[in-house]
This record gives sequence, C-alpha cells and structure tokens, in this order.
Amino acid sequence: MNQGLHVPEELLNQIDYILTHLAEKAHTDSIVLADISGQVISINGIMDEGTPDVVAALAAGDVAAMAELSKRIGESDPHGSFFHEGESKSIYLHNIAGSFILIVIYRAETPIGLVRLFAKRAVEQLMPITEEFEKTVGPPSSYMPDGFSKGITQELDDTFPED
Amino acid sequence: MFINWKLREINLKIVYYGPSLSGKTSSLEYIHSRTHPDRRGELISLKTREDRTLYFDYMQFQMGEISGLKPRFNIYTVPGQVYYRGTRKLVLKGVDGIVFVADSQINRLDENLEAIKDLNEDLKELGFEPKDIPFVLQCNKRDLPEIVPVHTLKEHLGLNGIPTFESVAVDGVGVLDGLKSIVNNVVTNARGKINPDPA
Repeated sequence: MNQGLHVPEELLNQIDYILTHLAEKAHTDSIVLADISGQVISINGIMDEGTPDVVAALAAGDVAAMAELSKRIGESDPHGSFFHEGESKSIYLHNIAGSFILIVIYRAETPIGLVRLFAKRAVEQLMPITEEFEKTVGPPSSYMPDGFSKGITQELDDTFPED
Repeated sequence: MFINWKLREINLKIVYYGPSLSGKTSSLEYIHSRTHPDRRGELISLKTREDRTLYFDYMQFQMGEISGLKPRFNIYTVPGQVYYRGTRKLVLKGVDGIVFVADSQINRLDENLEAIKDLNEDLKELGFEPKDIPFVLQCNKRDLPEIVPVHTLKEHLGLNGIPTFESVAVDGVGVLDGLKSIVNNVVTNARGKINPDPA
C-alpha cells in the first residue's frame, strides 16, 4: 500500500544544508532534490514559480528512461548519473538508490568534473538521510486538520472559477 | 503523496489513464485552460511528431491554504499506445488518484478493457492494491453516434460502483466534474494516511 512521504522539518534542514554546501563548492545555478515519482522535496537557488515542479517531473521521466536504457545494454546498476550539456546551462542528474533524484543545474563554464565531484559527495551524504525519511512513512492514522475536506470544496470553486 | 512539514505543503498526484486517443490530453488541456491563472503552472506536453503523447502531459495547480496546509496537485496523463507501457508504469509511481478516460465508441470496447487490465497489473507491480486507490471513470466522446450505454461500459470494464462522469473532452463537457470528484476522493482517502508532524 502506498502511503507517500512525510518528511519532517529536521531532515529537510539537513538536506538544505547539504544542497547549500554543494551549491557553494560546485558553483551551481540551482539544485532540486526530487523523489523518483517527480515530487519536489527541496530546492536550492532561485527558480521561477512552478519551474522546480516541472524540472522534477521531467527529470523523473528522464531518469526512468535512462535506467531502462542502461538495462538494455547490460548495465547491472542502472542507478547512475548522467549529464545534459547545453550552450549556456547544463544539467547533471543523479539517481539516488532508485528512490530519489538529485538535479543540478550549472553554467556551461563550470567544469563538469567539479560538479561531478561535489555532487557525488552530496549523494553520499544524502543517502542515509533519504533512507531515514523512508522510515517516516508510518501506518495510516486518522490525523487530518479539521475542516480540510470541507475547505477543498471552496478551494476547488476558487481554482476553477465559472465564466 | 508527499507532505513537506517545513513548508506545510501536501503534494498529491493524479493520473489520467486510458487507451490511446480516448481524450486524456484533451481533458488536461481543458483543465489547464480553466484553472485560475494565478493557481496553475505551465502545461508540459512531450509529444511525438505526430502530436501523440510520448512520455506524458503534466501540469500542476495549487490551492489556497486549508487548515494550515497548502494542497498542490500534480496532474499527469499517460501515453495510450500499447508499446508505451513502461512509460505508463513510470507515471503511476506515487499516484494518489486515477481518472480512467474511456472511449465510449462501440468499436473501442476491447481497447478500454485492455487498458484497465494493464492498469491493474501495473498498480500491483508497483505495490498498490488497485481497489484502495481513489478512482473515477470518465466516459468520453459521448457526442459521437455509435457509443455504448454508460452502464454497459461500466459492466464491461468491471467498474460498477465507481464514480462516473460522461464527457466530451474536446468541448470540456464533464471534464471538471470528473476532476473535482477525484480531488475530493483523494483528499478523503488521504485523511486516513496522514500522520501528525513527526518533527
């Protein structure tokens, strides 16, 4: 049964610290940590509203396609990393244990080796933390803020206004 | 479902599933066009040169804060063609609710049935129990001449008892009703899943 992720603030703070360190060391433009289904977990750097969500969704598709490609050529571990090299900006994607994706966006003049070096270190640090928050998925409970369901009806009307 | 307790956000994923050319992308395009501009993200479509969905279509909309939590909905479609099954399975990862867009035409019954079988198999392979996932049936193309009665379609697909909406996605008829239904079902289902802030 899928119960989703419930990431507590303490673990998010640890993730933020690691991403900030990576950004400083590798001179990145922006960084997104997402889960394998494309949900944004944490962001570092400035991105337009909505952009991290799109980046995460597309990266999830990309990582899944790359994992399948790796299998087709006989790679035993399809959870590696890969680059998209652009003219002004490039992207580095790292599949963390098949559960999470580190997405690093950096300027083309930044050496790839620098990004790869510090991204790998960040992945090593993120690995135990992401394992931790897998553990935060507990059995179903009946908790939900009061009035949440009722509030949804009004919010739906506001989100999809009549002509 | 992903809950970020730091930002007090609840992220939910809804997938529009169904056979090829049943109206999944048209539904999403209509939803995007009708979403309040301040509350919607960009509509992303990864299409082939023939304008058919290759990976998925994607959009996000968010709502105002409710009881201290900000709901954000990620809406995906899947490519319907048989040979894109791997992609469909990918998109189903982490799904919180499904809208099955059926093609109501008599000559598409078998494709609908095949899609339902694939969906159930994929969900099981991903660790879901299909009956536990909020589900809505959207019977599309109700404006065409040779269509199956809704009750026949439901019976054929084994979907009796499922909330059902008749639609003409290209005109937007019935699309928002189906979406609002799945959103409500997803939220109701989430009530039994959310744990108190573990921090």
